[in-house]
Amino acid sequence: MIVFWLLALALVASAVFVITAKKPVYSVVGLLANFVALAIMYLTLSAEFLAVIQIIVYSGAILILFVFVIALLSSGVAPFTLGPDRLPVAAAGGTIAAVLALALVVFGIAQRPPQITPIAGGAPPGPVGAAGAFGSVADFGNALFTTNLLPFEITALILMVAVIGVILLAGDSGPSIRQRLLRGRREPIVKDPDFEAAVRRGERPAERTP
Amino acid sequence: MGVEGTYPLLLALWLVPLACAIALWAFGPQLKTAAGPIGAGLVGVCFAMALFSWPEAVQRARGTIGAHITLFSWGSGFDFGLLWDPLALTWTLIITGVGFLIITYAIGYMEGDGSYPRFFAYMTFFVFAMLTLVLSDNFVGLLVGWGLVGLASFFLIGYYLERPTAVAAARKAFVLNVVGDVGIMFAIFVVVTQAGSTTYAQTFARVGQFSSSALLLVCIGLFIGCAAKSAQVPLHSWLPDAMEGPTPVSALIHAATMVTAGVYLIARCWPLWNASADARELAGAIGGLTALVGAILGCVQWDIKRILAYSTMSQIGYMIMGVGVGAYDAGVLHFLTHAFFKAQLFLGAGLVIHALADEQDVRKMGGLRKQMPFAFWAMLIGVLAICGVPPFSGFFSKDAVIYGALERGHPYLYAIGALTAAITAYYMFRLIFVAFFGPYRGNVDPSDLGIRHPELAGTPAHGAQAPHAGQAHEPHRPGAVMNVPVALLMIPTVAFGWLAIGSNSPWARFFDQLFLGGTSVETVVPPIGEGLSSALVFALVVIGFAIAYLRYGTAPARRASVERLRTESVRMPPVLANAFYFDAAIDALFVRPAQLLGRIFGGIVDPLVLDGAVRELVVIAVAFGNRFRTLQMGLLRGYALTIVIGVVCVIAYYAVVGASR
Amino acid sequence: MNGAHLLAVPLADYIGLSTVLLFIGVAGVVVRRNPLIMLMSIELMWNAANLAFLAFARAWLNNAGHIFAFLVITVAAAEAAIGLAIVVVVFHRAKFVDVDDVTLMKG
Repeated sequence: MIVFWLLALALVASAVFVITAKKPVYSVVGLLANFVALAIMYLTLSAEFLAVIQIIVYSGAILILFVFVIALLSSGVAPFTLGPDRLPVAAAGGTIAAVLALALVVFGIAQRPPQITPIAGGAPPGPVGAAGAFGSVADFGNALFTTNLLPFEITALILMVAVIGVILLAGDSGPSIRQRLLRGRREPIVKDPDFEAAVRRGERPAERTP
Repeated sequence: MGVEGTYPLLLALWLVPLACAIALWAFGPQLKTAAGPIGAGLVGVCFAMALFSWPEAVQRARGTIGAHITLFSWGSGFDFGLLWDPLALTWTLIITGVGFLIITYAIGYMEGDGSYPRFFAYMTFFVFAMLTLVLSDNFVGLLVGWGLVGLASFFLIGYYLERPTAVAAARKAFVLNVVGDVGIMFAIFVVVTQAGSTTYAQTFARVGQFSSSALLLVCIGLFIGCAAKSAQVPLHSWLPDAMEGPTPVSALIHAATMVTAGVYLIARCWPLWNASADARELAGAIGGLTALVGAILGCVQWDIKRILAYSTMSQIGYMIMGVGVGAYDAGVLHFLTHAFFKAQLFLGAGLVIHALADEQDVRKMGGLRKQMPFAFWAMLIGVLAICGVPPFSGFFSKDAVIYGALERGHPYLYAIGALTAAITAYYMFRLIFVAFFGPYRGNVDPSDLGIRHPELAGTPAHGAQAPHAGQAHEPHRPGAVMNVPVALLMIPTVAFGWLAIGSNSPWARFFDQLFLGGTSVETVVPPIGEGLSSALVFALVVIGFAIAYLRYGTAPARRASVERLRTESVRMPPVLANAFYFDAAIDALFVRPAQLLGRIFGGIVDPLVLDGAVRELVVIAVAFGNRFRTLQMGLLRGYALTIVIGVVCVIAYYAVVGASR
Repeated sequence: MNGAHLLAVPLADYIGLSTVLLFIGVAGVVVRRNPLIMLMSIELMWNAANLAFLAFARAWLNNAGHIFAFLVITVAAAEAAIGLAIVVVVFHRAKFVDVDDVTLMKG
């Protein structure tokens, strides 16, 4: 029980750190901490397989992807400085929404506490690492490849679609490398007249010419 | 009412004019000049059919008289059919008989007209419409016929389409007649509520159930229709203007038949009129007033057709007075004699107009007695009949009407009728003397005669219209096709009255069958006998003639005719020149307010209120759209916030209400 | 660690924790303007959902929760990949990486 509350504290703290960090790299680190805490939490919930998957996939792949993109986008002088806030109501609105939702959930749970009656026919829970226990690899694999085979195949399809999409989106198109070298820099995608006006006024620095 | 049966001859009689009208209208361009004889011939055939159907009209069985065809039934009490009894027979014979003569005359009169077949199509359509009116056995059929004759009149008054005065006159006639149609419609509504039926038979059988106020309402409603159609005061002003139509039209429609529809209606509804003394007072008073006003205005007209128009108005006043007070046989008898002599007068006037290349102003005539002796004798016979000179037919009928008023206890109407007879004599002989005696004034400068004098500009006494541009007929001698009908009309004009001499005359026996022995209106013993009354009226007629003779007929008067006419034209009092300002009154009371209302609705209500409401809806929708448009800021975070709000709402729903079972 | 015991902590606490994490992620998406931070906040939200799934799976000893959490992880990976690709395309060589600058859908 104390484990739960410690983990809960870690989760919340790291989540808050993620959303309030100044630089994105800090956020990545905070997110890593969050994922690790979550993996431990999963272990306490007898979800061994998923805890490991969490570490491998989330922390090991997705976070690395984030780091790559941060590196890619950091090519400007001060790329992560921001302009004026155009939706000031968002801060208050988000906070209110969060508080409200939490209150409603608490209220709803108080009214109808969730049942904890186990459903018959499943594997019994056992200590971590025990073969055949609830949430173990064998148990999970059994379920995935027999009862839930179709969702598994569809998941594979989704991943393939994602790969194709990424290639289409960020793949190479436009002039060849040679043409690019000869022609010079490309026009950026996002053109902002307010930004241009601010540059002319001297409020924000223009792009560094390569 | 009437013996039930299928009478194919009667049905044919009713429908042949319609078929003829449709054929002439559809195939007019192919038929060209054959349209005239076809139209006249078919109407003549109808006349023959009516004659052959005489026995059915007077057959009696089980307390009814006449024949009845049921066409179709719309519900209990709302049957539609044709009724053929002595009253219908009378009117049908005049419509088809006099109609045949007039349409034959028109073959010659309208010769050379551009749309010759159209005229005959309209005339035969009119015959059909009038037959519908008189042959219907129910009020609704009557109203249908009423409207259709109004339509035919509109077509024919406005026959010369290119003349704005003709079009205006046609419109005026139609609008005034619509007032009458509405009156009859409301009368029908009351009849349905009181008697539960629209057929004559059932309505008259239940007259006793009517409340007296309802009965009066019905009679007033019907009488409004009569007043409009028969040109009674105050709905009379369309009749003089209706002379814009060709002369045969004036003869048939606005003298002999259509304008007598009111007389027919009152005679047909004699049970209603017998039951309501107030209605009789009203009808008699209006009839007498119209007779007098028409006669007075006839004294100051210069257009030969307008003189005859006002005389028609006056004579119909007599008829209405006659049937109105309950002297039905007198009124209908006057209708018959009037049909003959008025048609004769109009056709004779048409001969004159035709020969003088459409000159209608009597001031430019004169001395025609020598130029056109046949027309002169025709007009003279007609004038003698209309003045009530014995032994011509008009004498008997007019005396019957005037004396009938006295017999039923209306001494004032008797006085009015007698006085009007004198005035009638005056203005009719004025017409004769001015047009047919004295030197011919066709070559005199119009302003010397007082025509189009600047002081009289714009008044009805302003002198006849210029000859129809484009339809001017070449002056030529009328052919036999025009002279023969006039000659044929002379016979009944002279002699018809002889059928009504005495209290057991053929006419009385024929017509009284209509009443099946039912009670007529009570008569009182009049203070003077019939013979003395006739003598008195005749004396007044002679006085009227004498005044006319002294003014226009003596040798010195004839020699100085140009100066006399100019003086009279210039010195005409405006009240008379403007026909007692009836038109101005109607214009101020009804036309101007209606136009103002139209302008208010067209200029203010429609564009501002109605269109404005629609525009405001559009403006509101656009404003709403603009307001909501600002929500779409294009900011990603804004959209995310919207989604979050939605999620919170869903959570709220499930937290409060709970998931479904 | 649990053996045959049922949950040591009532299920309601897990749900509450999951909700808190979820709305921390929501706040991150709505308030921050850096697209990368927003994507990371979205990952937070995915994980909050996963936590709820697994808690219920343990409470009811039902494998379906695990399977679904597995699917969630997979889809989250795919979504992160595509989302980052979009960010790269849109903000590559942009002056500033600010999501408020992308207003083509305005109006």
